[in-house]
Amino acid sequence: MRFKASIQNVSTFTRLTASLNSLGRLAWVKLTEEQVCFTIIPDQGTQVWAVLAIDSIFETITVQSAADNVINLEVPLALLHRALKSALHATSAQIRLTKKDNVPVLALTIVMAASANTHRAFDAPFDDFGGGSRETMVTHEIAVRVLSPEAVAHLHEPATREPDVYINLPSLMQLKSISDRFTKLALADTKPSTASTASRTRLEVAANMHGCLKLSIKSDAMSMSSTWTGLTNPELDPGHISGGAESIAGLPSTRMKQLGSADGRSDEGWSSVRIDGLDWGKVMSVGRLGGRVIACFCHEHALILYVYLSNNNGDDESVLTYYISSYSA
Amino acid sequence: MVVLNFTLTPEAASKIHDLLVCLGKFNDTVAIEARRERFTFTALHPAKSAYAAVTLHGKEFFTNYECVPSHGGPDGRFTCSMYTKALLSVFKGRLFDPLGRDGAIDRCEVSVQERENETQCRFIVKMVCNQGVIKTYKLTYEAVDVMHALFDRSLAKNRWSMHSGAMKEYIEYFGTKTEKLDISAGEDGRCVFKSYTEKIMNGKDILKHPLVTAVAVNTTDFDDFSVQAGLHIVINVKDFKAIVVHADTLKTSLKALYSQPIRPLQFSYGCDGLLCEFTLATSGDYAAAPPTPTPAPQALSSRNTSRAPSTVVEREETRSFRSDMPPPAQPASRRDGSGRLRNPGSRQASSVAQAPPVHHNSESLFVAEDEDETWAPLDYEKEETLGWDASANHDASAFPTFKDSGNMSRTSTSDSNQVFEPTQRVSQIKGLW
Repeated sequence: MRFKASIQNVSTFTRLTASLNSLGRLAWVKLTEEQVCFTIIPDQGTQVWAVLAIDSIFETITVQSAADNVINLEVPLALLHRALKSALHATSAQIRLTKKDNVPVLALTIVMAASANTHRAFDAPFDDFGGGSRETMVTHEIAVRVLSPEAVAHLHEPATREPDVYINLPSLMQLKSISDRFTKLALADTKPSTASTASRTRLEVAANMHGCLKLSIKSDAMSMSSTWTGLTNPELDPGHISGGAESIAGLPSTRMKQLGSADGRSDEGWSSVRIDGLDWGKVMSVGRLGGRVIACFCHEHALILYVYLSNNNGDDESVLTYYISSYSA
Repeated sequence: MVVLNFTLTPEAASKIHDLLVCLGKFNDTVAIEARRERFTFTALHPAKSAYAAVTLHGKEFFTNYECVPSHGGPDGRFTCSMYTKALLSVFKGRLFDPLGRDGAIDRCEVSVQERENETQCRFIVKMVCNQGVIKTYKLTYEAVDVMHALFDRSLAKNRWSMHSGAMKEYIEYFGTKTEKLDISAGEDGRCVFKSYTEKIMNGKDILKHPLVTAVAVNTTDFDDFSVQAGLHIVINVKDFKAIVVHADTLKTSLKALYSQPIRPLQFSYGCDGLLCEFTLATSGDYAAAPPTPTPAPQALSSRNTSRAPSTVVEREETRSFRSDMPPPAQPASRRDGSGRLRNPGSRQASSVAQAPPVHHNSESLFVAEDEDETWAPLDYEKEETLGWDASANHDASAFPTFKDSGNMSRTSTSDSNQVFEPTQRVSQIKGLW
């Protein structure tokens, strides 16, 4: 089993681990030479299935294993994140799978330009003693678990029905600050009620096919809602739909287009989900990756977020999929 | 009656703040030893695995320094201990602020009030602020004996020094929950600082294992580097971090001196009349260490080669009573190193309680001391085992110091049959009678 890669985009990788770490402590990482998959399946809350093109984080990669050159690992995200963070100013960073005292470890080796020089006032400026290798090397070792193909065979991406509404989300920063405020106010509402914290922080998110998004929260004491208008509902690519243009007509979203209005005042045409505000705050942490986000609403069933990361060519080859299920009440 | 008065500039006062923060990481009490020429803060880790001393030079560090101990002539000293937190609440951060903002002071005047006929003995700090505001703090202190760890520099053949700023960058790489630091000199011209945790975990727990971080530094990046290739020495990463962070406040070079694993290591640095010395217990594979070219101290021969845990008990004070010293020296208010009230009637129990629990003291620097040993027959062959502060005056009592010399390893059990070997010449303690 061999895995070795040089990291070309430390900051993206760091942001990715930070976003994922907010949702779960451990990630299932599936490595192949074509793509890297990060999957977070927490006991409860949002699942993340991320598929990244190699060149979005790695420069070169070698993956070899007896199981069709696929390596499955379980990785503690907090440590990976901490290790990557220290590589932000590195001149080069490499990651590889190795064994230490019979424990598999991901070793992140980073090379830093020798900063010690700056502290030495009398250093010769053109000191090429020792081949000019005046560098500091830092190695982080993260203990990981290698998962057998059987162990991951039963893990499948959640299946959802065709969405009723799909919409481009506004800036996640804006969305997050508003939803965080709602959640905070709901938590501050300390009226003795039978409702637990989880039901108090329940956000209702709704959207229509006319570019409107509505975020609202209700408690015994208050009711708040924010509505965005003028967002875009991306056109479906007939090439990606089985059955082509004819079947698009039969999709629930096509029907939803007939309902509601672009000013968001109409009661019709909304597809809504109830989600936990605290969990939503963690999902919004993906905003740091700066990707384009499409939200798909399955009315009272689930909310699926697709976060597209553009690579150098402008193609959306890397996508993080967030599966958020809707609470029934 | 002791005379101890000194004045500090705002810069010096803020340095006192910094050093107290550092010493506070070793123990929650800090001991003070004032002599005619210098003033020393010391802190001893409760597990006796680390000893820290910061010496302030009377003329260089202070604007004004006067210390006349009540007895002992030129070598006399005034010693006491205080809670680090209490001192820190007086020596706050931002005492020195060129812009004169909130908290900045103009100067700081310290004096000790110790009168025979008064019950109140106080350590008085006057912060003279801008606009003529004077804040006066009166702190209680406790008279204690101050112990010093002796470190034999002549045996410490391995040495390096590096600017604290660079060192600080390295410690920032270390994982948060690591415990140990392995410093090793490779043969490839690199020195490796590896922070890790000594925990063997299996199965799913593997994923809870803290990060292992190794920082490999070219030896040419050191100001000075002379360490036997292949030598590994292990210390506590927390101690190291505390030292480096403090050294960085002074922007000085940090020097390390050591001989081999399980023998003490000393870090030292300082500038402008302030000298810091940290003597740390080390561990590591002693057997795996390459043979030392330096002659091993004679004491080593008697060390248990299997390194069975040799619990060493060390008491913070040997004096139970000072006839010529008025309060506050009484044991009733006295607390032992861990802050518990010492029960005067249960010396044995409390000295056992002070023994580091389940700590493998083969790593400990410090050897045992017990009041019994004053009475035990003297073994002249063991003369070298304990280093006594030769400059101390002996009329008040013996001033204990301690030193790792290897052959004091013995097992002390919690029963009352402890046998302590004599370590002191009767001639040296004549002052007690």
